Amino acid sequence: MKNTFIARNPSVLWFLAALGLFTALVTIASEATGAGLISTSFVKTLGKTLCLCLIAIAMDVVWGYCGILSLGHFAFFGIGGYSIGMWLMYARTEIIVTESLAGRTIPATPQEVSDAIGNQIFGVVGSSEFPLIWAFADSFWMQMAFVILIPGLLALVFGWLAFRSRVTGVYLSILTQAMTLALALYLFQNDSGLRGNNGLSGLQNLPGMDDVSQATVSLAFFLASAAALALGYLLFAWITDSKLGNIIQAIRDDEARVRFLGYHVESYKLFVFTITAIIAGIAGALYYPQAGIINPAEIAPIASIYLAVWVAIGGRGRLYGAVLGAAFVSLLSSWFTGGGAPNINLGFYTVQWVDWWLVLLGLSFVLVTLYAPKGIGGLFDKLVRKS
Amino acid sequence: MRRLFLSLAWLMAFATSAFAQDLQSILQTHAEEVAKPSRNSVGVVMDDLVASGLPQTTAFLEQWAERNIWQNDETGSFFIGIEDGDDLTLTDIDSGEETSVSADGYSQLRPNGGVRRVIGTALVQFQLSDPDPERRLSALESIGRRADASQLPLLIASLEGEDDAAIRARKEQLINFLTARFGENTDDRIAAINSLSKDTSVEARAVLNQILATEVKIADALPQDDNVADVINTLSDHTAYYAQLVDADLAPAMVSSGDVLAALEANVVEGRVGGIPLAQLNSEDARNAAYVELAAAGTVPPLVTADDVTATLDDFYFYSAYDEPDAAITDAARAALDSVETRVGWSQFLDLSLDGLSLASIYFLAAIGLAITFGQMGVINMAHGEFIMMGAYTGYVVQLFVPDYTISLLIALPLAFAVTFGAGVAMERLVIRHLYHRPLETLLATFGISIALQQIAKNIFGTQARPLTSPEWLSGALVISDVIQISYIRIAIFVLALIFLCVLLYILKRTRLGLEVRAVTQNPGMAASMGINPDRINMMTFGLGSGIAGVAGVSIGLYAQVTSEMGANYIVQSFMTVVVGGVGSVFGTLAGAGLIGFLQKGIEWLNPSNTLAAQTYMILFIILFIQFRPKGIVALKGRAAAD
Amino acid sequence: MISLLEMSGVSVSFDGFRAINNLSLQIGQPELRAVIGPNGAGKTTFMDIITGKTKPDEGTILFGEDNLSLIGKSESEIARLGIGRKFQKPTVFEAQTVRENLAMALKNPRGPFSVLFYRKSADSSARLEEIADEINLTDHLTRPAGELSHGQKQWLEIGMLLAQDPQLLLVDEPAAGMTAQEREQTTDILKKAAETRAVIVVEHDMEFVRRLDCKVTVLHEGSSLAEGTLDHVTSDPTVIDVYLGRADART
Repeated sequence: MKNTFIARNPSVLWFLAALGLFTALVTIASEATGAGLISTSFVKTLGKTLCLCLIAIAMDVVWGYCGILSLGHFAFFGIGGYSIGMWLMYARTEIIVTESLAGRTIPATPQEVSDAIGNQIFGVVGSSEFPLIWAFADSFWMQMAFVILIPGLLALVFGWLAFRSRVTGVYLSILTQAMTLALALYLFQNDSGLRGNNGLSGLQNLPGMDDVSQATVSLAFFLASAAALALGYLLFAWITDSKLGNIIQAIRDDEARVRFLGYHVESYKLFVFTITAIIAGIAGALYYPQAGIINPAEIAPIASIYLAVWVAIGGRGRLYGAVLGAAFVSLLSSWFTGGGAPNINLGFYTVQWVDWWLVLLGLSFVLVTLYAPKGIGGLFDKLVRKS
Repeated sequence: MRRLFLSLAWLMAFATSAFAQDLQSILQTHAEEVAKPSRNSVGVVMDDLVASGLPQTTAFLEQWAERNIWQNDETGSFFIGIEDGDDLTLTDIDSGEETSVSADGYSQLRPNGGVRRVIGTALVQFQLSDPDPERRLSALESIGRRADASQLPLLIASLEGEDDAAIRARKEQLINFLTARFGENTDDRIAAINSLSKDTSVEARAVLNQILATEVKIADALPQDDNVADVINTLSDHTAYYAQLVDADLAPAMVSSGDVLAALEANVVEGRVGGIPLAQLNSEDARNAAYVELAAAGTVPPLVTADDVTATLDDFYFYSAYDEPDAAITDAARAALDSVETRVGWSQFLDLSLDGLSLASIYFLAAIGLAITFGQMGVINMAHGEFIMMGAYTGYVVQLFVPDYTISLLIALPLAFAVTFGAGVAMERLVIRHLYHRPLETLLATFGISIALQQIAKNIFGTQARPLTSPEWLSGALVISDVIQISYIRIAIFVLALIFLCVLLYILKRTRLGLEVRAVTQNPGMAASMGINPDRINMMTFGLGSGIAGVAGVSIGLYAQVTSEMGANYIVQSFMTVVVGGVGSVFGTLAGAGLIGFLQKGIEWLNPSNTLAAQTYMILFIILFIQFRPKGIVALKGRAAAD
Repeated sequence: MISLLEMSGVSVSFDGFRAINNLSLQIGQPELRAVIGPNGAGKTTFMDIITGKTKPDEGTILFGEDNLSLIGKSESEIARLGIGRKFQKPTVFEAQTVRENLAMALKNPRGPFSVLFYRKSADSSARLEEIADEINLTDHLTRPAGELSHGQKQWLEIGMLLAQDPQLLLVDEPAAGMTAQEREQTTDILKKAAETRAVIVVEHDMEFVRRLDCKVTVLHEGSSLAEGTLDHVTSDPTVIDVYLGRADART
């Protein structure tokens, strides 16, 4: 048993144990189980944080392991959110519309029902027609498939184009950023078919489950997010531990050399880019029902840069580092911006953290890059090695 | 005796109209028509007024049309009067003498719309020959706004004796327009129309369009006697054209699905409508079937089906006919308009190119600083956009202290350079210097600086946009024609971009600093061994790139608003410009800015309603472009470029 | 002697500068060949062309028994055909262990999915140990490659090349920065490798070339100036002119 996967990667076991313990504690303390030590909104925050951890490990694989600084993974995250959001919004509106039409003497025709749903959803952008991309919005399974297929295909096509012409390094980063910007700008249009800058809303209400309390729903999503994170972590740990893991790290360190070893570098990059895009899509599909709303601003290039910031602060090239970074920075960020941090009175000026948190984050990010390039994970490694 | 009296009276009347030097007496002759004018009767008054040629007539007519003429109830004399509470300020219509009286005993003349139009026409005639050129111009302006046939002879008459060249030209132009529309014989009109085929002004196009005005008509067969412009294909929009038939009482009204529903709901009998159970009425077909049942029973009007609509529409011709009956004229106008529109098309193309040029110069200004730091040093500076913002805010702060916009601009430009130069040097010394071998990390570190700077600006200046006002001489636009115009501010930005291009080329190619910069770029080790201090060169280069960003910020702030996020709006485009153009070359950046600027304008022109879509397509184009020319337009070849 | 690699009339220029000028060359199977030449003679470009990094403007390159054309093939395809390359600077993957470095180079399927599901076999383990022994790194298999000495890195890279089991080995200045003893061992490794395959060594160091004791090709301004034994070429007046003439100019 000396050479099993777990034996080679004890940190996976530690991580899963810690995640399991954390999940159990939150479950016990949540309002859904009656203890009520943790508010429902905080359970949602924790659930969302787990989704961010999931996309962070995807980012870590593509950047920390494979060396592709993608500034586009939040776009895949958003696409996942939009895909599931379309079904949530359609199905719920359909129920509401059907109920309101039920009272009529003469039963509604399918066309009338569809028009009424269209009116409800697209009235806000002055339309009532269903765009083509909503063709499968009534099917949960189709939209779930889209959560995987659309980010996957987009990553495949974009990656194929970019890697084929050997765009690397900062050029690739800029190119992925351009892709994200193009997507965000497209979604901002009112005739994008996805409600322009209104985005999709009311996603926290699951269709047909109005009787179930939000406390229960949020706990369910929290648990689902935890499970997704655990599975994602296992998947990526397995991938990075395999020989493929060696090769992508080799690509990160010296791409040309790997080519002369006979490996088709582009295929490897494409594989990593696509699989991480799919995981990002899944993370988004879990995140946005907890957030309740998704709009194009979420996809703006800056979100993807923040993602890179989390991974860098957490420590690249180690999966738990990405989890630490995402959890630490996003929770700290909501603590500071939520007014949780006490203001500092300097006499002549009061530092309000709501205003100054981003300055602090930006500067600390510079410091981490300069003085702790391995991030929190690097410090963590040092501690473990000493003991 | 009686005859003598009559002839005397006639003589008297003649004498008053011919020789009387005062307006009042002419008016008194027609006192009845002046006090209670109608469209038909007022003509007599006008003729006499025109014949008198009195200079004060113009003022009187103006006031009359404005309802400022009052009549003394006793004497019947007319005055110009301004009501002031209960009092009236009267002005004698001949002497201009002012008196103040009580409004009692005076009544206001209220000519109706028709009369006022007649007055207006007469007035135009007076104004056209008024000694004051301002008045003549305003008369011409009113003709330009509302032309009618009656003005044509007046204009022609007034042409004689017109000594102001500009006014004369304008009169000739208007005569041409009016001849085209209202000329008496066809040849004159066609000649006038043909002369318009080279005139791209909005006015000339309006004249042609008015000649080509059409009206949609419906008939059983195509008429032979009408000047038909076009036969309309009713297939394109059944409902709308059928509705026109209904309006013209040529077909029975459509029954909408809503009408069907309402009719069914009103006729439910024991859970059934027309014998069909309610539960089955959940499709359009079932509902129509039930409705047909009701119609058969005579309860509701008959259903008009889609087939009925098509069949009915088939029976009629919809066509548009010109208001102008003469086909020769409409053909000439059509040809003239086509030729004008081709010209307008070219002008628009030129205008678009100018727009593209100015957008390109903005992108160039925004990107050139980046091209230096990224191209020459390989450093990704995500805070470049924030340097642009810093420059713009510097301009804003200077304006707070120096109210004269010209002077403040002259101070702001070098100051912005200095401020951002300093910021750039500080950033290079403190951060970037340590990251030269880790380009991806430079990207992230400078991004950290970028969010910090953005938030600091937000904390200092708030979130609302701050104005950066341009000096007087930069407002307005250079108007070349109705189609081609370009604002001075954009010209200024273009000139600034040109200056920067030259200065930069000079620095890089002709100065010691430029030589050293290029040496350090190509081989830092070798450069160092030749006594060049690469540290100093990097610092200077970075400062230069940042300083240019600051100046770009001032100029961008002049035409866009200054916000803490303005830099972020330019950063991606700036990177695109550098990458598309080819890294490491000033001309590359120029080419990139040109391509992106013209392309964006071009796409906006194809899809004018949607600038967001234009940006989306442009970025997609750039992504594809990079596939085919990964090293940009101006690519460096060879082994050096491969690394 | 069967010809393994046949270059004829190959030229390439960068911005008007002809780096390789109508170069023709034949390498047999097996053969050990040294390529020498002054700076800027086009040695690195010569290797770049064979390995597919640089596309020649004209000329043909045929490889192997089937006389496959190498022009238009990607670096990884060429590497899979059996051409291995060692760079001037040792380029091993420093973050990974010696074993991982060698395992990546071992001749196994190269597709992403076969690599993802790759399981170690006894065969490849044995082959790996064998190579490690050959390059004297058996004791260092679990160490990160970054911790090795300069010479050891050079060997590891040669070991990775051997693990690829190429028919043609291109070696760029293998002896740079090595101690005398290490050089001797490197010579042995190269000579042994050349018993079963073709090896082209690009080298500056005449002493090292002499020790290789093989046919020498002198490159000058992108074309082959002379070919033969080291003694033969060093006595060629044009070669002397190129080398010494330059030496004169420098001093």
